Amino acid sequence: MLVLHGAGVGKGIAIGKAFVLSGGTVTVPEYSIPESGQKQEVERFRNALDEARGQLEDIAANIPKDAPTESASFIEAYLLMLKDPLIADQPIDTIRTRKVNAEWALQIHSAGLIKAFDAMEDEYLRSKRTDVEHIVNRIQSNLLNIRHETLGHITSHMEGKVVIAHDLSPADAVLLKNHSVAAFAIDLGGPISHTAILARSLNIPAVVGLHGATRYIAHKETVVVDGKRGVLMAGTDKLTLEAFEERRRYVEAKQLELQALVHKPAVTKDGVAVTLQANIELPEDIGSAAKVNPQGVGLYRTEYLFMNRPQPPRETEQYTAYCRVAKRMKNPVTIRTLDLGADKQVDGGRREGPTNPALGLRAVRLCLKEPALFTPQLRAIFRASAQGPVKMMIPMVSNLDELSQVMDLIEEVKSELRREGKQFNENLPIGGMIEVPAAAVCADLFASRLDFLSIGTNDLIQYTLAIDRVDDEVNYLYDPLHPSILRLVKTTIDAGKHAKIPVTMCGEMAGDPRFTKLLLGFGLRIFSMDPAALLEVKKKILDTNVGIAEKFAAKALDCKGSQELRDLVTALDQT
Amino acid sequence: MLQQTVTIKNKLGLHARAAAKLVNTANRFESSVVLNNKGKGADAKSIMGIMMLAASQGTELKLFVEGNDESEAFASVISLIDNRFGEEE
Repeated sequence: MLVLHGAGVGKGIAIGKAFVLSGGTVTVPEYSIPESGQKQEVERFRNALDEARGQLEDIAANIPKDAPTESASFIEAYLLMLKDPLIADQPIDTIRTRKVNAEWALQIHSAGLIKAFDAMEDEYLRSKRTDVEHIVNRIQSNLLNIRHETLGHITSHMEGKVVIAHDLSPADAVLLKNHSVAAFAIDLGGPISHTAILARSLNIPAVVGLHGATRYIAHKETVVVDGKRGVLMAGTDKLTLEAFEERRRYVEAKQLELQALVHKPAVTKDGVAVTLQANIELPEDIGSAAKVNPQGVGLYRTEYLFMNRPQPPRETEQYTAYCRVAKRMKNPVTIRTLDLGADKQVDGGRREGPTNPALGLRAVRLCLKEPALFTPQLRAIFRASAQGPVKMMIPMVSNLDELSQVMDLIEEVKSELRREGKQFNENLPIGGMIEVPAAAVCADLFASRLDFLSIGTNDLIQYTLAIDRVDDEVNYLYDPLHPSILRLVKTTIDAGKHAKIPVTMCGEMAGDPRFTKLLLGFGLRIFSMDPAALLEVKKKILDTNVGIAEKFAAKALDCKGSQELRDLVTALDQT
Repeated sequence: MLQQTVTIKNKLGLHARAAAKLVNTANRFESSVVLNNKGKGADAKSIMGIMMLAASQGTELKLFVEGNDESEAFASVISLIDNRFGEEE
């Protein structure tokens, strides 16, 4: 059995006969052209350009009307590139001055262009080198008379097949979808290429960046594409195929089943209502989050507004972003103040790397040290609170003095806004993220000073167990079911209950259905998670009897080790 | 000659499709339209040149327009950039 790994970009599983598109990388020959042959060589180059133009216009004419409008605009961009002096004229100069063949002249220029793209700082723009490669490959193939089996002519034979290609242009991907292709897998491309983005929006299983798929997969061979894991398999035996077919049906059925839960309230079997919220990173995430009908946003990570740019965003830009989210939601939006530092640095590398960034100047520590960074954000959040139900959450609090400093700064901001006559919610709820073990142990102290607590399990686990999650040597020790973690979680939930303030959980543990029943047993009632996990957690909640979960949870606190705990949690899951 | 500093506002920056719109706009006019990113200049009528400016979101570009219809060209280019090339973000 052959298994190739790439990046899964379109979710889902497909099984079908491979349809391998020939073509792909062209070997570019180099030879010299005497002066007498130059006129003819230039002519040959121009013909190749004309031919490419005709091919692109053909594709444009064949794009189905209901395809996303972007697919046509790719072609428009490609047509402009064909006319651009850098592609259309400069190789001609090179044919004349360096006395080389058209292919080699084009190669020289395209290599320069691609090098310039590779040097770009912005990841997205850098990935656009594929646009240049597409257009150059098309011209080269025309020059070399390589007849691509252009998709337009053969798509009718592709229904239900898995298309394997060296590369596909975004326009090709649209055509495939409209001819009911089961999936596609390509050698080139990364998860943020146009083709990948289209695969996601077209909802077709796809794997990109497979390096060698066209070489190893035979035409008409049966293959399996797993878009979730980014795998292409061939030569699978009958049993494996059956297993995948079963899984494919299972995934399909499960998606349908979960979809039915979207508008169902999250209430346990014994009538306990639970609040499920979404974690978001960018204002535009709110659109996809809304599809699973969350009851508010439990964690809006604002640091993404600050990344990939030389200067931090001004107050107005932040205000606009926060309002966009707040206005869309009827339910509370919890805006977390800047959590930069550690693995998330502002661009421009303002500070030298500390030896241990996770324990260094980050999150609220950084904000307090640099009020010029923090104050505009506080002002923007408060001003947004006049436009919608906004809450504010401070990350990484570890002692009360620090919290007092934040509160002082907040009071200053409030009186400043009052002076300016700006509207805001005087009672905007302010909460703290419990992610440093010190804060969890003293959760009662924090609960007495705050309006809500939110448990950030990712850092809490990393700090409590002294494990760097990204360190391959030790991350096997990263264990949400370590007795220490459960005790800290329980302590925090109890502290909130005692102080009569809400406690939420927004770390990965909240979105892991394996832990849902246990957390309910501990008394957690507000879960915030990646929207993709929300319906599965809701399903678990509908299946929970809190009375039983509480009994298991009490026992869990007495467990001595992770294995014992895992057995208990598995048993609870079966109840 | 008209000149002004413009900031790229759309999230994806001057990628191929946005660049195509810019080139199509510039091509409607006789005037020469040049964009400059930290000393690197590009003819706004050349899509490759524009893409090579590597202008991501937040990049400040200097716009120079010169010619008979410069004021219309100037206004059209600025409004296209300010409207994020018709993109949502």
